[in-house]
Amino acid sequence: MRIGVEAEGLNFAVEVKGLRKTFASGLLRKRKKEALKGVDLCVPQGAFWGILGPNGAGKTTLLSILSSLLTPDAGEVIVLGKDIRTHASDICRRINLTSGNANFLWSMTVRENLAYYGMLYGLPKKARSRKVEELLDLFELGDFAHVQFNELSTGTKQKLSLAKSLINDPELLFLDEPTVGLDPDAAHRIRESIQRLQREKGTTVLMSTHYMREAEMLCEQIAFLKSGAIRACGTPQELKRELRLGDTISVTFSGPLRAPRLEALEGVLRLQVSDSTCRILVDNHRSRLPGIFDFFVDEKATIHDLRIQESDLEDVFIAFAK
Amino acid sequence: MKTFSSLLQSEITKTSAFVFKNWIMAKRNVFTVFEVLFWPVITFLSVGLLAEFAAMGPGMKAFILVGAVSMSTVQVCQLDVAYVLLYDIWSKAVKHGFMAPVGLRHLFVGSLVAGVVRGGAVFVILVVASRWFFGFDFTVPGPVPIGLFLGGLFLSAAAVGMLVCILVLVLGNRAEIAAWSLVSLMLLLCGVYYPVSILPGWVSSVAQLIPVTYFLEYIRRFYGFEPSFSHALAKGYGTVLFYLCAETLLMKAALRHAKRSGILLKLSE
Repeated sequence: MRIGVEAEGLNFAVEVKGLRKTFASGLLRKRKKEALKGVDLCVPQGAFWGILGPNGAGKTTLLSILSSLLTPDAGEVIVLGKDIRTHASDICRRINLTSGNANFLWSMTVRENLAYYGMLYGLPKKARSRKVEELLDLFELGDFAHVQFNELSTGTKQKLSLAKSLINDPELLFLDEPTVGLDPDAAHRIRESIQRLQREKGTTVLMSTHYMREAEMLCEQIAFLKSGAIRACGTPQELKRELRLGDTISVTFSGPLRAPRLEALEGVLRLQVSDSTCRILVDNHRSRLPGIFDFFVDEKATIHDLRIQESDLEDVFIAFAK
Repeated sequence: MKTFSSLLQSEITKTSAFVFKNWIMAKRNVFTVFEVLFWPVITFLSVGLLAEFAAMGPGMKAFILVGAVSMSTVQVCQLDVAYVLLYDIWSKAVKHGFMAPVGLRHLFVGSLVAGVVRGGAVFVILVVASRWFFGFDFTVPGPVPIGLFLGGLFLSAAAVGMLVCILVLVLGNRAEIAAWSLVSLMLLLCGVYYPVSILPGWVSSVAQLIPVTYFLEYIRRFYGFEPSFSHALAKGYGTVLFYLCAETLLMKAALRHAKRSGILLKLSE
C-alpha cells in the first residue's frame, strides 16, 4: 500500500511507487550512495503536505525527481496524472519549485527576473506584465522592482523565489526548505504568504523542511523521510500517537501519594516523582486528566500547580530520527 | 486546444527569453566592452601592424586581416551561445531554467540571435577599422557573399557554443574553460593567419573537419586567393549543419546524463 492513500477515488497530484535513486561519485564512479530506497507516496490534489527528515534523508532528491530535475533509477512517478519520464515537458508547464537559498541571474532586477521566467513559461506580453505586477504586489516586492538580484537581502531573495514559483499559476508547487537561513520575522511572513496562497488558490503543495513549527503550522499531513525511505506518514497527531509520545502532566502537590497506584492508572505511560512534584506521561491529557484529578482527591493530596505539555512535532522528529 | 498562432507566439516568447537574458546580462557586464571592443580591436590592430611591419603586399595583408576579423566575430558569437548556460551556472540558477517548459531549440536559437547581434557588431567595428587603419576594404565581395560568409561563421560559432554547453553538462563547471579555449584551437587549425596547406599532413586533415576553414577559403577567393578546396561554401555549410544536428542529439543525451547523474543539481549549488 502506498503511503498517503486513504480513500479510493481521490485524485492524486503526486503518486510515487518504489522510487529509487543512487548517486555515483569518485573518479570511476565507484562510490555509490543510495539516496532513495523505494519511496511510496501519494499526495491528494489540493493538499498541503510536508516532508520531514534529517539532513541527507533524501528530501531534496525526492523533490528534484518530482520536478523533473533528476531522473529516477527505478519506480513509478506520476505527477498530475502523467508519468514524469515520458511527459516531463507537459508536467513542467503545470508545476513549479522554490528552494531555500534562492539564486537567480545576478544582474537582473526583480522585475526582469520575473519577466524572464514569465517568458520561459511562454506567457504573452500583456499577460506577463499583469502577472509580474500581481506578484510584485502579492509579495510586497514593489519597492525592489528595480533592484538587481545581487543587491537584495536574503529575505527579499526568498520572496522573489516564491514569486517566481507562481509565475505560471502552478497546480502543484514544491517548496524545498523555503525559509532556510531567514530571520524569524522574514520566515513568518513567507509562511503566511504560502498559507494564504494555498488557501486561496487551492494549489497542491509539497514542502520539505526541518523546521518543526513550520511543518506543524502549514502541513495537513507529514511524511517522515529517513535514510531514503518514508518511515511514517500522517497528521502530526497521528504521528504522535504512532510513537506513543503522549502528553506530560506536571503536578506540584502536598500530602501523601502512592506512586505505584498512580502509575497503574489507565493511560499512564510513565511516572516520575520527586518530593512534591510528579511528571505523568499520559497517552492523551484530555481523556486522562479527570481520572488523575480523582486520584489526587482520593489520596487526599492537595494540588498547588498543574501544567500540561503536549508533545510537539519536534519530539516526533527526534523520535523518528533516532 | 491551442491555435497555431498561440503556439507560434509561445515559441517566439520562449526563444526571446534567451535573447532578453543575454542582452540584460551583457548590458550590465563590464566584460562586454572588453569582449566586443577592447580585445577584438587590440588583436586586430596588433595583427594589422605586424602585417605593415612585415611590409606585406595588399593581397597578403587582406589574407591576414580577413582571418583576424573572422576569428573575433566567431569568438564573440560563440561566447553568447555558451553564456546561455554559463550565466545560469555562475548565478547558480540552472535548475530554474531547466524546470521551465523550454526546449533546446529555444535555448540555442535565442542565444544565437544574441550572438549574431554582438558578433555582428564586432564584425562591423573591425570592417570599419580595417578600412580606416589599413586601407583594406572588406566589402569587396559584395553583400551576398559576405552574408553567406557571415552566416557560416555564426553557425560555426553556434556549433562551438553548443559544444561548450555539452561539455559542461557532462563534465561539470570545470569544463567552462572550453568557452575560451576551443576558438584558440581553431586559430591554430583552420588557417586563420596562414593557408591550411602549410600544415603537416594529418593536421591539415583535421583542419578540413572544421567548417570555418571552408568559410575562410570561400571569402578569400574574392581577394584573389586560389582556394585549396572545391565547393568551399557547400562543404562549409554541409559540415556545420552536420555538427549542429549531431550536437543537438548530443545535447539531449548530455541533458539526460546530467539529470541521471545529478550534475544538473550540482550546477545549481
